[in-house]
Amino acid sequence: MKELLAVLVNSLLAAGLYATMSYGLAVIYGVMRIINLAHAGILMLGAYATLTLFNHFHLDPFLSVAVVVPLFFGLGVLFYVAVVRRLPRSGAGPSIESLLLLFGVWLILQNLAYAIWGGDTQSILTSYTMKSVEIAGVRVGVPNLLVFGVSALSLLLLQIVLRGTFLGRAIRAVTQNRDAALISGVNADRISAVAFGIGTAFAAVAGSGLATLFAFTPEFGRSFLLKSFCIIVLAGMESVAGVALGALVLALLESAVGAYTSIPTSFQDALSFTLLVVALVAFPQGLLGLFSRLAARRRAAA
Amino acid sequence: MTGRFRLGRALLLAGAALALLAAAPKVLERGSANDIWNLAFAVALASAWNLLGGFAGQISIGYSAFLGIGAYTTALLALKGVNVWATLPLAALLGALFSIFVGWPTFRLRGPYFTIATIGVSEAVRVFAAGVSFTGGSSGLRMPPGSFDFTRNYLAMVTLAVGVVFLSAWIRGSAFGRALAAIRQDIDAAEALGVNSTKYKLLVHALSAALVAVAGSLFAINFQYISPGSVFDFRLSLSIVLMPIVGGLGTVAGPVLGAILFGYLQIKMLSTPALRDSNLFLYGGLLVAVMLFEPKGLMGVFRRLQRAASRSLPKSVPDAR
Amino acid sequence: MPVDPVLSVRGLSKRFEGLRALAGIDFDVASGEIFGVIGPNGAGKTTLFSCLVGAVAPTTGTIRFRGERIDGLSNHEIVGRGLVRTHQIVRPFKEMTVEENVSIGEYFGSGSRRRADPERRVAEILELTSLSRRADVLAGTLTIGELKRLEIARALATEPEVLCLDEIMGGLNPAEIVAAMSLVRSVRESGVTVLMIEHHVHAVLGVSDRIMVLNFGERIAEGTPSEVMRHPEVVKAYLGEEIVESA
Repeated sequence: MKELLAVLVNSLLAAGLYATMSYGLAVIYGVMRIINLAHAGILMLGAYATLTLFNHFHLDPFLSVAVVVPLFFGLGVLFYVAVVRRLPRSGAGPSIESLLLLFGVWLILQNLAYAIWGGDTQSILTSYTMKSVEIAGVRVGVPNLLVFGVSALSLLLLQIVLRGTFLGRAIRAVTQNRDAALISGVNADRISAVAFGIGTAFAAVAGSGLATLFAFTPEFGRSFLLKSFCIIVLAGMESVAGVALGALVLALLESAVGAYTSIPTSFQDALSFTLLVVALVAFPQGLLGLFSRLAARRRAAA
Repeated sequence: MTGRFRLGRALLLAGAALALLAAAPKVLERGSANDIWNLAFAVALASAWNLLGGFAGQISIGYSAFLGIGAYTTALLALKGVNVWATLPLAALLGALFSIFVGWPTFRLRGPYFTIATIGVSEAVRVFAAGVSFTGGSSGLRMPPGSFDFTRNYLAMVTLAVGVVFLSAWIRGSAFGRALAAIRQDIDAAEALGVNSTKYKLLVHALSAALVAVAGSLFAINFQYISPGSVFDFRLSLSIVLMPIVGGLGTVAGPVLGAILFGYLQIKMLSTPALRDSNLFLYGGLLVAVMLFEPKGLMGVFRRLQRAASRSLPKSVPDAR
Repeated sequence: MPVDPVLSVRGLSKRFEGLRALAGIDFDVASGEIFGVIGPNGAGKTTLFSCLVGAVAPTTGTIRFRGERIDGLSNHEIVGRGLVRTHQIVRPFKEMTVEENVSIGEYFGSGSRRRADPERRVAEILELTSLSRRADVLAGTLTIGELKRLEIARALATEPEVLCLDEIMGGLNPAEIVAAMSLVRSVRESGVTVLMIEHHVHAVLGVSDRIMVLNFGERIAEGTPSEVMRHPEVVKAYLGEEIVESA
């Protein structure tokens, strides 16, 4: 019983981070139908940025979020305006050109990190890195708790923006039905730039969080990228609630496998990859899409 | 799609290329022969990948899996005493079978989703190979001594390279090639005319994978040592994709050009100390440049120049094209 | 209802996530007929064709082709049996020439196994659809009229027994419409059964043996052109104007 509780608590904490990490990918896909492989590179850069702020300015990694968010938001918008906007758009679906281009950007970012920081493994050690607290009888690391707090806060702020502001509603509109949104007067270019900025900022925040929990190198990001894909495919790629649900499912699966079986952690990566493929093939519209289709069918039959 | 495939002429060209390449080591130094081996390896991989990626339009970034399957099949059997050259057909078969295993569920996916699935699959394979003991784990395998003969290795690789390019040209001009082109351009319209797209995708994937597996076997035979890091590497999958893209996806000459350019750039970079660790800049930069400016790669640039040249020349007869 | 129909549909329904596109359609088509399908926009006509050829799986209902059930089969399998359609919004293979486009139907359609001289057959079809002079032109550069004829040529190349034409006259000028009507008649003369979705009501009335009218996914009338034109439901569905004018 204690073990089950531990699994649940740890999954919840991990899910928060996974959700933040995946939302960055989801918003770019939702608004522009672009699959941003550079996401992994941003995760990695977020981690290195936090490292630099910590080592050189002695800024606590959780406080550095205040610097990371606007910085990466700006970089994201800049990148959209300078590069992404120029891509040929072939129809409504995601194009292979954008996929490969962003892949190329990821590689460039990796090389940049190697050039600036070198290939040695880095980590961030603060005074509380090793501390833990007890919650409901379960031992939980302080960084894990703080990361969850930051993730939850950012997702909450996001929900407020999406529901409460004009910008947020425009983003949701474009995500659900691009043509209708454009006809209604939404400025696609501006929304796309903002979405790219938000996506980049979220990825960077997640990278920051990951940096406090794991050691990292410029290669860092690949397995998280695949986890993110897994989540947004499960989530149907379009809603915050869906992303949170998908994140929870993956986190639970990972914890359960880790706790109840003897499969080593390296194989866990293979687990999320397989889950990704299965999800892509079996649930093209995600778990929520599956539910909404079943609901629609029941409504129609009534 | 231009130019009909003439079997006689193609055979002649292939034969000539092969004769030339076979004679080359006798006049060049050993170092250059090695370079040609590497180039032939790249050409074989790029052209084989192009069958699925260029002709059929299904971009897979997971081809190192097939390379690894070929390499490991040969290495494991060689360590059991089997003659290395006899392992090639089995390597090809296993490559093909694995491609069907992967393709069956993933070919339901379209475009970029298929690509993402292939990334997932190849990573899973790498993790598996590194974790399982009979493959020697992450420390890899060493080939049994006494099986090394560079002349034979060289001939084998150049033959494979010429063979794959010849096969590409043949397929391109055939009905099969036309079906693949239809699938690439508009898969639903192809199905609406009777093309069984799944069957053809699986078929070309299997052929492509078998050829890459054989290249993997030859790699093991020539390098004598393989490990998950060397043959199942993601960066290898990446270069296999980049060469045809940079050279010109879906053409016969494109992958060859891409392989040559790539090989040249790699060599230049390795010999310039400042650039030695910058191969990711190279891969990434090329991808970004090609996608932004000329998605059809080098062949696309040539065709544009060709058209510009023919437009600027005075015409005496009205052009029906 | 004809005896021994080549195509027989019963209870065909199609639902898209709560939207009912087709509701319980029944009809038969006799071999060698020209069978028109008309109705206002959104009536479900194209969805009907999509179900017939297997591009879309019906929600319920049966489709019998030459007496055998084909509902649930894939598109390419059904084409292999001899039932094919053209697309309302043309889908040419833009990077191939006209001749190459048609050859796809030739090599992979139902006639592919019996073919003795495919190139000659392709040339014949190009002649029939007035595309011979454009045989070596890239499909991406054709005019809309030529593209419509290419759709038909490709479908004919599959050697169908039943050809479903989806609004082939859309965007054509009056001279082209007359040519299209004549093409449809010659296709029927060569032994192919034709189903036609058309908005040019006077054209379809002039060419069809029988007509079925759909509205909101339901069949509201079926019969000879004159029977259908006088049907009160049909007049109501079209708000009277078009039908009355071409009567």
